[in-house]
Amino acid sequence: MFMTRMSLPRRTFLRGVGATVALPLLEAMVPALTAAAQTVARPVRRFGAIYVPHGKMLTQWTPRTSGAGFEFTPILKPLEPFRQYVTVVSGLSAGPTVQNGGHAVAPASYLTGNIQPKQTEGSDIYDAITVDQIIAKAVGQDTPFPSLEVATEDFSTSIGACDTGYSCGYMNTISWAGPTSPLPMETNPRVVFERLFGGAGTPAERLARMRENRSILDAVTASAKTLQAGLGKRDQARLSDYLDNVREIERRIQRAEQRADSDPIALAAPVGPPEAYDEHVAIMFELLAAAFQVDATRVFTFMMMRDISSRSFPHIGVSDPHHALSHEANGRSKDPQKPVNFAKVNTHHVSLFAKFVEKLKATPEGDGSLLDHSMVLYGSAMGNANDHTHHPLPLVVVGGGSGQMKKAGHHLVYPDLTPTANLLLTLAQKVGVETERVGISTGPFDM
Amino acid sequence: MSSLSLGRNVGPGITALMNTKHLIFPAASILWLAAAVFNGRIEAAAGQAASAGSGSPASHRTTVDRYCVTCHNDRLKTGGLSLQTLDLARVGDRHDVWEKVVRKVGTGAMPPVGVPRPDEATARSLVTSLETALDAAAAAHPNPGRPVLHRLNRTEYANTIRDLLALDIDVTALLPPDEISHGFDNQGDALGVSPLLLERYLSAADTVSAIAVGDPRIPAGSETFVPRGDSHQRDHVEGLPLGTRGGLLIKRTFPLDGDYEFSAKLYRTNNGFTRGLAAVHGVEFSVDGVRVFATTVGGPEDWATLLANPASADSFDTRLKARVPVKAGPHAIGVTFVEKTGARNPTVLRPSQGDIDSVESDGIPKIDSVMIAGPFNPTGPGDTPSRRHIFTCRPSGPADERRCATAIVSTIARRAFRRPVTAAETRQLMTFYDQARTGRRTFDAGVQLVLRRILADPMFLFRAERDPAGAARGSVYRVSDLELASRLSFFLWSSMPDDELLQLAADRRLSTPAVFTAQVKRLLADTRAQALVTNFAGQWLQLRNLTRVAPDPMEFPDFDDTLRQSFRRETELLFETIMRDDRSAMEFLTADYTFVNERLARHYGIPGVRGSQFRKIAVTDPARRGLLGHGSVLTVTSQPNRTSPVKRGKWVLENLMGAPPPPPPPNVPVLEEKLDPNRPQTMKARMEEHRASPACANCHRLMDPIGLAMENFDAVGAWRTRDNRVPIDAATALADGTRLNGVVELREALLKRPEIFLRTMTENLLTYALGREVTAADMPTVRAILRGASASDFHFSSLILGIANSSAFQMRVKPLRDDAS
Repeated sequence: MFMTRMSLPRRTFLRGVGATVALPLLEAMVPALTAAAQTVARPVRRFGAIYVPHGKMLTQWTPRTSGAGFEFTPILKPLEPFRQYVTVVSGLSAGPTVQNGGHAVAPASYLTGNIQPKQTEGSDIYDAITVDQIIAKAVGQDTPFPSLEVATEDFSTSIGACDTGYSCGYMNTISWAGPTSPLPMETNPRVVFERLFGGAGTPAERLARMRENRSILDAVTASAKTLQAGLGKRDQARLSDYLDNVREIERRIQRAEQRADSDPIALAAPVGPPEAYDEHVAIMFELLAAAFQVDATRVFTFMMMRDISSRSFPHIGVSDPHHALSHEANGRSKDPQKPVNFAKVNTHHVSLFAKFVEKLKATPEGDGSLLDHSMVLYGSAMGNANDHTHHPLPLVVVGGGSGQMKKAGHHLVYPDLTPTANLLLTLAQKVGVETERVGISTGPFDM
Repeated sequence: MSSLSLGRNVGPGITALMNTKHLIFPAASILWLAAAVFNGRIEAAAGQAASAGSGSPASHRTTVDRYCVTCHNDRLKTGGLSLQTLDLARVGDRHDVWEKVVRKVGTGAMPPVGVPRPDEATARSLVTSLETALDAAAAAHPNPGRPVLHRLNRTEYANTIRDLLALDIDVTALLPPDEISHGFDNQGDALGVSPLLLERYLSAADTVSAIAVGDPRIPAGSETFVPRGDSHQRDHVEGLPLGTRGGLLIKRTFPLDGDYEFSAKLYRTNNGFTRGLAAVHGVEFSVDGVRVFATTVGGPEDWATLLANPASADSFDTRLKARVPVKAGPHAIGVTFVEKTGARNPTVLRPSQGDIDSVESDGIPKIDSVMIAGPFNPTGPGDTPSRRHIFTCRPSGPADERRCATAIVSTIARRAFRRPVTAAETRQLMTFYDQARTGRRTFDAGVQLVLRRILADPMFLFRAERDPAGAARGSVYRVSDLELASRLSFFLWSSMPDDELLQLAADRRLSTPAVFTAQVKRLLADTRAQALVTNFAGQWLQLRNLTRVAPDPMEFPDFDDTLRQSFRRETELLFETIMRDDRSAMEFLTADYTFVNERLARHYGIPGVRGSQFRKIAVTDPARRGLLGHGSVLTVTSQPNRTSPVKRGKWVLENLMGAPPPPPPPNVPVLEEKLDPNRPQTMKARMEEHRASPACANCHRLMDPIGLAMENFDAVGAWRTRDNRVPIDAATALADGTRLNGVVELREALLKRPEIFLRTMTENLLTYALGREVTAADMPTVRAILRGASASDFHFSSLILGIANSSAFQMRVKPLRDDAS
């Protein structure tokens, strides 16, 4: 079901491939802001998409007025300090018609903009390429990782059905490289860290390792040349490839070394997934911000939680399991406390996200901050979670998009059932993808 | 053009490879199933080949003109082939074409049904004569081929680390998967390099050397282990203490003496409910079978807590956590429940084996995942098999350190480079030891850095073979003894030569026939030859694909991971038995014995088998004999929710008959599932749609009938007499009109021409052994191997010895043109 084979032509890094591969030594430590990488005229543009399941308490999410100067609702309140970066988009639908799909189609439609996964409980799952991968294919090739896919809950070993009629495969990811290629999402921050920063340890230890690797590469070069002598043409050509690769790696290590002395990412490697959910989310956000900062990738997807997750939030006074609560709050229960609790959890999620936004805002880059040059979509692919409706969806885009987000600070309201695909198309174009269509989109928004 | 390619369909990525093959087997090879065009067994054919000369080139020219050239002439060139002007007296000039004729006419695929065909004796005479001439031409001008520079693939890397450093590693976490070519992942032409791969080799060298030596700087990390989603955990898990049920057994190498934290999570339902907590359940952690931690979950108090607040389930997980001192080295960690006897849930008559129901709240608790973190408070590298293997000496004092390090390094380098190393090479390697020591690091750290450097060396990662000095272009020569040693160990062990093999090669004694034969037998008898089972058989029979098979749990509630693993084990054990007991390769089709545990026996309807361990039993039901009755084969060739006669037919054609059908033409629509629940149809009727379009019918008439004969096995290999309430109809007519009914008659049809299966298996083994494509030029070698093996009734070792002693395995050609090298 997942990609198990891949072809990696030389000089091609991880084209749209997820957690099965890792780059231990990489340009992650190379300055992002070299003249070649970014100019004020052509700033780097970045895209992120964050998914939270089970919809929102819409009455406390959707601002009452449209246009500029809207009042931040309780759930969106944590984003108010970044008002000039916030575009709330209302009225959209994950599909062209009214459909009550459920928990499998929600994550599977979030970034395709259409409810279309093949109904199967077997391994023959089939969806479509997601917008993050469309963007990664267009802009991701300049960075070591075309895209990063992360999550907090690991269900990748679930097989069979997780929702009536649908394979668990649909619920394990929001990112698809193609109709049959769901990308696995990494939940262990340690693994993400090692992929980004080339192994564990402190910056000094990593630097020492780089230096050792460089002297090993020197020796290996000599060895390869000895080996090459007296071989046939085809074998020699293969060793030439090998030597080219050695030089490529040496170049990267050299640049990484130059950077390492003033390494701004003084993160220590985490041991593994933290037990506390908030901590887990925070460290993932920290790694994503670091990945943007050092230009290790320009595209990420993050599933903050997974559908039908029964996580509870006792530390903010909500001990109801999330999935059950999403049903009860939207009508299954008469208990007036349920909607209050659900909104509380919704707000808590947004506040965790807001810390990430704050970090991007606080990180200077070129003529502004990382936030100025990013577009991060945050939301859910369900409206009313009790009915499993996929419209209207709670969606917000945060970031300046290098000046592309003309309606930042606005609440944009579209007629009900306007496809989400239009928003995805708009964002793809703003990141710089030359395309007129994403899935079932009918045209870009003026935003 | 390389013709008799063996490339098998391993996915859309290699259609380019497949294409060469279509030209060779356009569609009709199954006709041999016709009531024996030839009955001759290989021995008979071989006997005739020896006496040769049954018919002159002139009389064969007449046969060819009369029966072949009608279509295969210069004007029509049917199938892109003309035999009109080819010289039968010089078949060696166009051996590629004549090998095709041998195969087509020899299997009865040509001439096709409906045109005039030669009588049996005439056809056999033509084939025998061609084979004799082709073999003679090959003997006069041998072409042993020339494998390209071979990079260690992932399996070979892991096995080599195991043998070099006495260390088992999880290679999937270290290196990316390899490309598959010609059906196997050890083919030189597909084992390329990339910056990614090089980086992974560098980081693997770092990780492996640190664990092997026990680097005290290894930081604490964590790994999470999960049972398969469809393991129900009701039964005992093999390897865990008796009296336990469910959970999982984790085999892992601990890098340092120190504390490690084990924590387990219990499975939750869709609504966050933890199952089965009304009763008390004992949970225990064990290290190498010794209990190190025990606790309980469930019981009245927990139950009340859980009912009052479902979210309290988290608090049960926090109980399942222990920090335990563990010695460095390999250990088996068990996390499991204490078994209880008790009545099953009375409301569910037949609980789903797969237990994939994520909603049902009744039942028993099961382990969802286990995390191992550490080392914390490490106390040292301890005494591990790896350290004992690496540190063959200990310095007697500071002055002795460099001598001892040199001894260690030269020993490792010799094994790692699979040849004697020079003093100059050792000196160069020792600069890394010195580099570490000048950095004020320890003796161990110095050895570790050299090891890391060796593991990144192309002399370790590549197996290079050189033309001997002064070899003329076009000349054929024996590979060196050292090259032969590596060829042999990588063939039989998927690993490096051991000291004995290497020493014989270094002394140039390995190529002595008696010594070589003795070494082949020794390696084959060694436990490391298990690589042939997991690596060769796993790919040839596609057992590796079982892990990705996920039958529809609604259709097959009895399927679970235990059954999946049992399927794989059964077929592996058959291969292992034929290999270890040196039985006839024909038993792959005919074995009247098999291997089952309780779970598999129940699935097959065999009574009286108890317990999770496998045992050999006699097969009384003829339908279950050999590979065609194995659940593994029957399941990997099925769709998740139904059987697939197409996939089964294709599997038989590819893997047992060496005649893979071409892939479907582009843009063919998938057959719609037009199942009317009120008017159930037989699979046979549904397959009829393939006949509707001539484009489809051409190949499906080859595949479908074979698969339809196997319809009594459902999509997970259980016996059935009905499908969709309709009685199974396994009567079928093969492409040539031969009628047969059911799998037993299908097998009998296969057995009428045993040489076809034997040739196919030999071609596969040879492809795997050489790490390169087997072409028309290799067919004389294949025939020679089979002739040699026929004397011992095709016992497994006779095939292996035949391959190891073949010119293709022992020799190499220096190409005529430089660009072809």
